[in-house]
Amino acid sequence: MSGPVHAALAGDPVLAQHYAAFRKRAESALDARFVALIRQAIAAVHGMEAAAIDDAAIDEGTRTAIAYARRIPFEHTAITDAEATQVIAHLGEPGFVAFSVVAALADAECRAAMIDLPGLAGG
Amino acid sequence: MSTTPRVSSAIAGEPPHFGSVLAHQPEISASFFALYGRFWGSDVLPARLKEVARLRNARVTECGFCRNVRFDKAVTEGLGEDAVDDITDGYEASVRLTDAEKATLRFTDALIHDPEVLTADAKAALQRHLTPAQIAELGLGVTLFLALAKALITLGLEPEEMGRTVLPTPAVLEAAE
Repeated sequence: MSGPVHAALAGDPVLAQHYAAFRKRAESALDARFVALIRQAIAAVHGMEAAAIDDAAIDEGTRTAIAYARRIPFEHTAITDAEATQVIAHLGEPGFVAFSVVAALADAECRAAMIDLPGLAGG
Repeated sequence: MSTTPRVSSAIAGEPPHFGSVLAHQPEISASFFALYGRFWGSDVLPARLKEVARLRNARVTECGFCRNVRFDKAVTEGLGEDAVDDITDGYEASVRLTDAEKATLRFTDALIHDPEVLTADAKAALQRHLTPAQIAELGLGVTLFLALAKALITLGLEPEEMGRTVLPTPAVLEAAE
């Protein structure tokens, strides 16, 4: 497990382990390559170092889901029922639930990295 | 923003709400509630400060459900509605929020909205009022509050109408320890 939140929790192994378990369970519910794309897309929206995604190299359903994920950081209240319906059609309801958690967590982790949470918590 | 659930309930007889929708993924659900209970059950960072951060996140992300919930542990620690009313833009001028709460709010704004808010002075204030362990716990909390609020909103689980509701504070799940 890596990431700013887990790193910041180094002094509390129990809480760190619970956080790692939660993130792992959420990400394990989706294909690993898809999770990487979600995290990559959201990091790019935040202007963090992230390789560009070649939209032409992914299938239409994944492309739709990644376009949706890109709206999570700054446009989460503007996402429409129609957009959600398209992603649910691709992932199914259980997949959409996992996707919603993974995307929201990826956004929050980018933000935690941008304020250097581990450095702040390091004393 | 939709108030129509975008996903059905996975629990027979229950309407769609966060728990019943998350139940589509039982392992995610179990690990989330174990984590959230452990977080709220820890007294490293007082519940009152956690609640101040949670309510600020609720207002900025526009999560109506989060905004109307109050966790009883923070109420017991003296967080009243007069102070909650000041958790808006301009909280720096509040005479009802403490300096530690204002430092917590500045940190929360930086994480959920604009990193530039965390100026050198704001960092110094945060580290003057909170220990490194408390900052770590606050960082976890704000991360979860933000992710939870966005998940609730994008799953269409915002209430059409909801009054202020005091709920039992999530507690450590013994089976998960």
